[in-house]
Order: sequence, then C-alpha cells, then structure tokens
Amino acid sequence: MTEPVAPRRAKLELLVRKPAVDGAEEAFEVREIRSAVAFVQLRPQRVEPDAFELAEVSSRVSGNRNFILKNRLTERYLLLSEPERFLWDQMDGQTSLQDLATAYVLRYGEFNFEIIPSLIRKLQRAQLLVLTPASRLRKALARNRARHLVKMLENALLVLERVNISSRSVDGFFRALYRFGGFLFFTRMAAALCVLLAIAGGVAGVRLWNDAAQVADSLGANPVLALLAVKLLFLFTVAAHQLLHGLALVHYGRRVREFGFTFLHGFVPTFYVDVTDVFMTSRRARVVTAVSGALVHLVLGSLWFLVAVQASPGFLQGFAAASGMIQWQAFVIALYPFCFIEMDGYHVLVDVLGVPTLKSDAMGYAGALIRGRAAAPATREEWLWIGYVVLSVVSIAAFAAFNVWLIVHAS
Amino acid sequence: MSSHDVAEFLRDVRLFQAFSDDDRAALARALRERTVRKGQVLFRENDQGAEMYLVRRGTLVVSKAVTGPVEQILARMGPGDFVGEMSLFDRAPRSATIQADAAADAWLLVLDRASLETLIDANPRAAASFFHALVQVFIERMRASSDLVAEVTRWGLEATGLDVEGR
Repeated sequence: MTEPVAPRRAKLELLVRKPAVDGAEEAFEVREIRSAVAFVQLRPQRVEPDAFELAEVSSRVSGNRNFILKNRLTERYLLLSEPERFLWDQMDGQTSLQDLATAYVLRYGEFNFEIIPSLIRKLQRAQLLVLTPASRLRKALARNRARHLVKMLENALLVLERVNISSRSVDGFFRALYRFGGFLFFTRMAAALCVLLAIAGGVAGVRLWNDAAQVADSLGANPVLALLAVKLLFLFTVAAHQLLHGLALVHYGRRVREFGFTFLHGFVPTFYVDVTDVFMTSRRARVVTAVSGALVHLVLGSLWFLVAVQASPGFLQGFAAASGMIQWQAFVIALYPFCFIEMDGYHVLVDVLGVPTLKSDAMGYAGALIRGRAAAPATREEWLWIGYVVLSVVSIAAFAAFNVWLIVHAS
Repeated sequence: MSSHDVAEFLRDVRLFQAFSDDDRAALARALRERTVRKGQVLFRENDQGAEMYLVRRGTLVVSKAVTGPVEQILARMGPGDFVGEMSLFDRAPRSATIQADAAADAWLLVLDRASLETLIDANPRAAASFFHALVQVFIERMRASSDLVAEVTRWGLEATGLDVEGR
C-alpha cells in the first residue's frame, strides 16, 4: 500500500541585488521562498469596524458561547465559536498567523491549528478580511527606499535578519548538561544559595554605591568605552540565560527544540532557545522555566558586586561594578513585564492573567485612543490595556533616564 | 579557443545541429568569445542590444525586475543554451536581465546581428535550419513560461490562503 503523498508546496526563486560597497561590484543572492513560509507571516486584517457587526448567542442548554458575525455591506452572516471569535479579535493587520497560532495555544492549550486557515477561508468567503503580507516597518522602509539612508538601513536589516546560527538537535546536549550537574540548579540548596548571593550582592552594591564616584573614576580615561566592553561581555551571559531556560525544560521532562543565535528584529544580537514544549506542562513549570533564565543575571550580578567590593580601587573594581550593575539591570528587565518587550516577566504575567495578546491589544487600543477612534476606558480589560501602556512608557523613560544619568555621572 | 574547437562545440548547440561542417566552420569564425565573471551582469532589462550569446561553459541566470532590488528568476541557461536572441530580431530593449551564476564564471560566444544577417544572406539553407530550431526552442520556452505563470499563481494562492473554490 502506498503512503499518501503531501502536495508539493509552490516556491518562488527570487534574486535579490545587493548594492556595491567600496568600489566592489554589485552582487546578488538567490532566495527560495516557499508559499508555506509566506503564509505563516501573513497578517490578516479584519475589515473596518463599521463594516461588520458582532452579536453573542449563548446556548442555554450547553452553556457554550457562540457569536454571529455580520458583514454589513454584503449582508452575509457567519457563526463563530468562542475560539474563532478570539482569533477574529487578533486579526488586526499586525499579528501574523504564526503569532495567532501562539496566542491560540496560550489561550486554549490546543494545537489544532487547522482552525486558523479554516476560519480565514470562512472570513474571506464572507469578504470580512484583508490580507497584508509585510511588517509595518518594512512597508515604511519600502515606501522611502528612494532615500539612500533608508535603503542602506533596509539592506542592513535584511542581512542581519538572515543571520541565524542554530541547531535543532540540541535536546541531547541539554539532557547531558542536566545529567552532569545541571539538575543542581533546581534544588532547594541552589534556591537558598541564590537568595544568599542576592543579599550579599545587594549589600556589596550598597557599599559600592557609597563610593560611586571613586568606582566610576577607576574605569579610566574612557568610561563609555569601558561600559561598551561590559555590554559585550554581557552578551555572552545571555547564552547562559538561555541555557538555564533549556535546563528548566529538561527538569520538567520536556524537549528543547532549538538553540541558536540571531539578530532580533534585525538589530538586537541575542541567543535564543525554543521552549515551546513548556506549554505541555503545568503553569508552575512555565513560571519556573521563565524565571530561571533571569536568575542567571541576579547571581552573576551579585558575584560581580562581591568581586568589586573586594577589589582594590582600580580598573578591575570599576569593570566588576559596571558588570554587576548591567547584570542586575538585565535581571530586572527580564522579569519586569511593563516595557513593551515580550520577555520572561511578560510571559509570566500574561500566563497568570490569561491574556496572551496583552501587548498587541493594549497597543491597538492606545493607538485608537490617541487617534480618537476609541472610547475612554470603561471595562476592566480596557483599564488593563491602559495600565500596561502607561506603566511601560513610564518604565522605559525611567530606565533611559537612569542610564543617561549613569553615563553622565561616569564621565 | 580555436575556430575548430568552436565549430566542434556548435555541434552540441541545438540551433546549429542541422548545419553542415562548412557552415559551422564559417559561423565559428564569426563568433566572438566573452567571459562574464561570476555574479557579473551581462546585460540588464531595458538595455539596448544587438547580440545573442551562446553559453559555452558555466550558467547564466535570467531574471526580471519585481520590486526594488528583488527580481524573479525565470530560468537558468547552461552549456549549449542561448540568450539575448529576442532583441536581435525585434530590436526592442532587452526583456530580462542576464547574469552569470554566483558560483562560477560563464564563458560565452557572441553572435551579433551583422554576422547573423551575413549568414542568412550567404546560406539560406543553413538559415532555414537555424530558424526551424529557433522556433522549436521558442515553443519550449513559451510552455515553460506558462508553467511558471501557473506555479506563481499557485504560490500566491497558497501564500495568501485565498479560498477560490469556496467563492
């Protein structure tokens, strides 16, 4: 008996020219893009709010909530289930199908993704959907491509975005790492040690703060350069952060799918680990997995502060103090959910609140409010969105001000 | 490369397979050699041109502009294939951009319009076999273009998830 053969996916072969640099000849590269890859990057957008109407119809027998979606222009009606209504709400033209699938898993814990293409087909038939295939940043760059600087930026982002050094056969490595000592990180002893180190580090930090001027002076004639070196060293500790996430996943008996290095959004160098399998475990496991990575920065920061407080005044003391500061900042940023970046703390927050699309919803609402297209917050959900945006803006401003103050103070 | 080597190579070129040895030798003398370094553009879409090129070694990539620096690859031409013949006949600007593959240099033989017209005038029988083979290749390319259009349409449907059957 022959196995059914999956239909071959169509592919496009594109040639992308690269501008000549420093007198060198213009070059090009060939990219093969499969339709499936393009599909998951689609950003479906529902029609304008005044073009549709939504009404709830709850079953008194089963208690299930259903919704009737009406296209006001074509007078077509659709029956949506609650998960379909949830997906419909995400179709704001900014959320890709990939993000949609993630939000769906977080909300319903199901991997039956057929619901998404099936809903899209249904919505298309009812002419309730517009499909937009590119990010807003890319659209803006493409629109202004005639400007030399914009073109350069676009090309740089393209090149950096394609940098991805990763492996999908890392589960064995993480399991070995866990077996040969990694498990120690998840013992009561390690937790106690972590707390003790944090206290000792905090005390050392306070002592250093009292001599802040002297410590800053010891960074030498180029304090800004020294801070950049500290930042570079910090990048490698991000790898340790991701390793801990992976070890936590192994601790809870799940599989690490991928580990690698890439440029996030095309310009932020970072290591990453794919811990999607954590959704198959308990909320406690998800929280521990999220927090464990950030604790690396707490421990390293504390150790740096202890080194700094023991060192004689000089470059080593300044370098250690700056490293400790950056590690602790990273700890706070990783766990602090209100900064528009979906880091560990954000994932814990949305998991606990049960609102996987908090950022996207909050941004959409705030944008509409600023443009005068949304009413003042009235519901608990709207207040949550406003709270998220306000806290994030204030936090980022405070963080930027603190760093500027640090650099000015060091100079 | 000697004229003899060129004439021998022309045996493998479909356009000249029906030529006699003398015709091929005469044609070999009219051809010029040209090397295109890897990745280098031979000519661009909308350039004016009065030459066609036979690929002797290497690969040429045929592409057409889509948007900004992005072009769609229409075909790859290997040894024995030819490009640029359209402008030779209709005198219109080049319809696509041709460049050597990024992996290796391409060695080409160049036939200009004047040499082709001389060939046609001097040897109508050879010219007839040349045009017959040319028509055969055009038919194959038209079929390949139709397949490409269908493939691109299928790509668009799959990439957008557009539900055509249900409409």
